[in-house]
Amino acid sequence: MVRVLITGMGGELGTRVANLLEGDDRVTDILGIDLFPPRRRIFRSEFHRVEPGDRRKAVRIVRDFDPEVVLHVGIFEPHSRTSPTEARLGTAASAVSVLGAAASCPSLKAIVVRSGIEVYGRRRGAPTVPDESCELDPTSPFGRSLAHVEQVAHDAGQVAGVPVTSLRLAPIVGPSIPSPLGRYLRLPFVAVDPLSELPFSLLHQEDACQAMVAAAWASHDGPLNVVGPGAVTATQAVLMGRRVPVPVIGPGWLLAAAAAEMLGAPLPPHSRELLTRGCTADGARARTVLELAPRTTHDVVTQLYRWHTVAHPVSSEAGTPA
Amino acid sequence: MSVDAVRRGIPGATLATQLGRRARGGFIVDEWGLDPDLVAVADPVLAVRWDITVEGANQLPNVGGAVLVFNRRFGISEPWVVARGIRQATGRFVRTVGVPDVAPVGPLLRRFGGVVDRTDEIAGLLRAGQLVGLPMARGMRSREQVGRLEVERLEAALDTGCPVVPVALVGRELGRSWRIVVGRPVPFDPDGGPLAAAELAEATRQAAQVLLDESLPTSWWF
Repeated sequence: MVRVLITGMGGELGTRVANLLEGDDRVTDILGIDLFPPRRRIFRSEFHRVEPGDRRKAVRIVRDFDPEVVLHVGIFEPHSRTSPTEARLGTAASAVSVLGAAASCPSLKAIVVRSGIEVYGRRRGAPTVPDESCELDPTSPFGRSLAHVEQVAHDAGQVAGVPVTSLRLAPIVGPSIPSPLGRYLRLPFVAVDPLSELPFSLLHQEDACQAMVAAAWASHDGPLNVVGPGAVTATQAVLMGRRVPVPVIGPGWLLAAAAAEMLGAPLPPHSRELLTRGCTADGARARTVLELAPRTTHDVVTQLYRWHTVAHPVSSEAGTPA
Repeated sequence: MSVDAVRRGIPGATLATQLGRRARGGFIVDEWGLDPDLVAVADPVLAVRWDITVEGANQLPNVGGAVLVFNRRFGISEPWVVARGIRQATGRFVRTVGVPDVAPVGPLLRRFGGVVDRTDEIAGLLRAGQLVGLPMARGMRSREQVGRLEVERLEAALDTGCPVVPVALVGRELGRSWRIVVGRPVPFDPDGGPLAAAELAEATRQAAQVLLDESLPTSWWF
């Protein structure tokens, strides 16, 4: 019988995590907080709308709930649903207030935080496929934000004396998740750097949610890389989606980034770094600890370009949705 | 070009199929950047440049990781020779350490199996069951002496328990004929403490030197 707190429940991932936990009999109470309302129907979860900067409200809600497991999914990716500045400030404020309050809750047993493999950075000479033992050296604002969240979670775990699992997820894309990389790769013409591109790995949104739920029960203390096996290059992904790759080098990226922004797919620094310097990690440990088998990166790219037909609910009675 | 055309042996059908797969993005690039299709396309060109004979390839494991420590003189041909020779003999790719992480050279060499020179990079490759080609320091003055071997790089083999295999390369930079002699794996104690890597490096260097002494032709002309 476990009480679970989910931050970021309004996002695609947070709502799906809540739905998965709602189907688990071991979970008695689920409470979610976020800036946005849930993106899907929630059945037995309680939701509170909280601004990331509203520390007092967040702290009060968390302490009143007294969670046993905290799933900190509330990470704002730049240009996903918020601007880069709002994303950076919101990510930091949310982590500090929620994890800080959770550390003082007497029932707390485990903390799981969403992080990303962007924390390893892609500095020149950096390991191509880092495992969890590699030092953090983020080279993008989003990577630094994630490293800060991990540090806050680690501090909170030490104060509370509970295990902290940092799930370093590969860039998450999927047919329905708002992702700057997904939007960019789905443009009709996509700028790529043929001279410097290195392979990157991706993670499907459903696998990311399954990993977070599995981590809630695993009580693993330390980081875990969750990565879809295999890798693709930017040009390869674009060709798989039947898009047109446009070779761009050097300063041409300024023009390409401006054009992409005009077309509604702004490219944040960590996504551009991924396209030119690659972004992978060794996910073997997570597959063992969490007993996961994520979709391959090839499958993730294929599904990114697969548009599902809209399913209209069939009404059981006139005017009443089923 | 259809698979049927390849089966019937129509000239150029295999190449056309590979190019078609590239145009659709249906090829494989692994996490370190190796592109087996590109290697296959470049293979005829490499065959014109180097004629390689391999001895002792049965010393290499059929599956699982291993570190191949090889000598080099100028270091231009040797990585290509090791990679192509071992692939011909065993069907396995060799990931050669020492690629500069600078575009466009780095990404291009990674497509052919190159990796950056880091201990954690080597350890990751060994965990993934890859053959890693680890060059010794260049010995430009004489081709009869093997160069130094960086001790830290062998810590990856100790950590993963993968075999370390000495390899002697005999050939000239401007020549076409090369000979690869693969020696027996060097025994080591994975729990040998802090000195284990240094002792393993010394034993490997000596084994490579012995292999090279035995492999070099008696006449300087060859």
